[in-house]
Amino acid sequence: MMEIKNIHAKIGENEILKGLNLTLEKGKVHAIMGPNGAGKSTLSKAVVGHYDVEVTGGEILYKGKNILEMAPEERALEGIFLSFQNPVEVPGVNNAYFLRTAFNAKERREGKPETNAAQFLKLMRMHIERLGMKPDMISRNLNEGFSGGEKKRNEILQMEVLQPDVILLDEIDSGLDIDALKAVSEGINRMKNGERTFLVITHYSRILDYIDPDYVHVLQEGRIVKTGGPELVKLLEAEGYQAIAGDA
Amino acid sequence: MMAPVTLDLVRTQPQHPLYARLASLGIPGNKTEQYRHFAIKPLLARDYALRTVTEHTPETGSRLVIENGSVTEIPAGVSVTYVSPFEADAAHYDALYCLSHLLSPAVICLEAASDVFFGLHHVFNEAQALLPYRICLSVLPEKRVEVFETFETKGSGESLLLYGIDADVQPHATLRWVRNESGTASETALVGTHRFDVKANGALELKTFDFGTARALHLYKIDLGEYGWCDAGHLLMAGGEARRGNVVRINHDKPYAKSVQDARTILKQTATGIFDGLIRVGEKARYASARQNSKAVLLDRNAYMYAKPQLEIYTDELEASHGATIGQLDEDALFYLRSRGIPEAEARKMLVLAFADALIESIGEGVLAERIRADFEAAYFTD
Repeated sequence: MMEIKNIHAKIGENEILKGLNLTLEKGKVHAIMGPNGAGKSTLSKAVVGHYDVEVTGGEILYKGKNILEMAPEERALEGIFLSFQNPVEVPGVNNAYFLRTAFNAKERREGKPETNAAQFLKLMRMHIERLGMKPDMISRNLNEGFSGGEKKRNEILQMEVLQPDVILLDEIDSGLDIDALKAVSEGINRMKNGERTFLVITHYSRILDYIDPDYVHVLQEGRIVKTGGPELVKLLEAEGYQAIAGDA
Repeated sequence: MMAPVTLDLVRTQPQHPLYARLASLGIPGNKTEQYRHFAIKPLLARDYALRTVTEHTPETGSRLVIENGSVTEIPAGVSVTYVSPFEADAAHYDALYCLSHLLSPAVICLEAASDVFFGLHHVFNEAQALLPYRICLSVLPEKRVEVFETFETKGSGESLLLYGIDADVQPHATLRWVRNESGTASETALVGTHRFDVKANGALELKTFDFGTARALHLYKIDLGEYGWCDAGHLLMAGGEARRGNVVRINHDKPYAKSVQDARTILKQTATGIFDGLIRVGEKARYASARQNSKAVLLDRNAYMYAKPQLEIYTDELEASHGATIGQLDEDALFYLRSRGIPEAEARKMLVLAFADALIESIGEGVLAERIRADFEAAYFTD
């Protein structure tokens, strides 16, 4: 579904990704684990075209195209979604208005008529209730004054409304209490349909207990150094990344 | 045609208290602090035909209309008289305030006997003209007056509108003044010099929305009495080669007065925005509360913002703050919106509107806010 080939990328003058290769299979859940500074977030930013990251080599093939040549919004409209580690606060932009604008951009792309405000609010309320979010999330400004948990739930809300095909979750579990982690994980599991692909970036195994990855990849020093099944998580927990480094 | 704007225009009134003040301040030039970034000198050096206010018998209508300095329509509930001589503020800091009074011996004075809301519409359609006129408004004790001020300029190329408001907000009265300055043609320059005198327990809400394209500067002097209150908000959006802005002096000379000032500016192309604000808290103004903030967003590399927020404090017992920020649109916010499939142009518009809406919302939702929002969007999309 998505093939990341020999990607080199830098932030400022620091080369972070150093020839990374990764194939994301359709309908599968891929988890990426790795120590701090390994390049996990840089990888997710490179996929969605973040301005911080300069890709200096390689390609990312998706639906037969190299998405590195596309603007961020084009990538999103092709079905790529990143749940941000630290979602930005956008004062003055209403949450519902923002999400309806994004939803209608997708509808337009698919040749469908735009959804009016009343129809959209109904849809949004349904998702908000399912995620256990407060109803006032509709009228509040985008992420403004949200707690860490509310921000993460809001990311899942966007994911559920926009129904993307490839979902990158960058430390979706960080800063979540047990209840929030459960609600977020349930949201992710609802999105699994055998067609949709997930790339879950995490430091910890606890979210993987809820969303059952098919593959676990270890990213170290800008490269994938090991790929395995869920059993790899247990090995990492027991022996740490150094053991994998020894293998590589 | 007359000569350029110099003291010679008013030298025949040496006995007038404002003449002495004007003579001491001098005709402003490029080094005059409040005009430093406005380029006033070439404006005053032009040859103009001087127009003076003529007294008409106005028709009764739905709003107050002042056409080339003459009142042509008055709304119900408002009486209009021409007052001469008018007792202007001889301590005003601005020379053009004095000059515009000296050039407008008959001041258009408005009085409302009861609570009233009315539109004030300026029409200006003469080319190469210098049009000075003054408006005076007195809000009687415990009354509330709301004014929605608009402009219409057509065929007024290379003209200079030199007008201003002298408003007297009496004890326990409220004046709400909302200005929508979006109809000014690109070739018309405007200098507005104003004085608001807010008496004890009086309240002034001054909200200005300026989306013009030429040169315009408003200079305010606001005096607050005991427990006086002032909420001033200025939203400026300018593009092209516009030079526009606000110079505001708020004086707390009595105790317990409160002032809040919020200026937001969005600049495109090579436009220059000006916010020169001073809140002065005198030694008798104990327990004052004064807050001032200026935020500017530059949408293009060559846009320029001149922000000068100032507090001048002569008492220890007060709360006061001020600040100014100048920057571009938040790149992280822009990226976030784009990462959800929103095209860049639309994402930019959303962020700019959000920035502006903080002030538009402050006048409450309704027809006025909708009109201002529509004018803002139209100005945003004008190259």
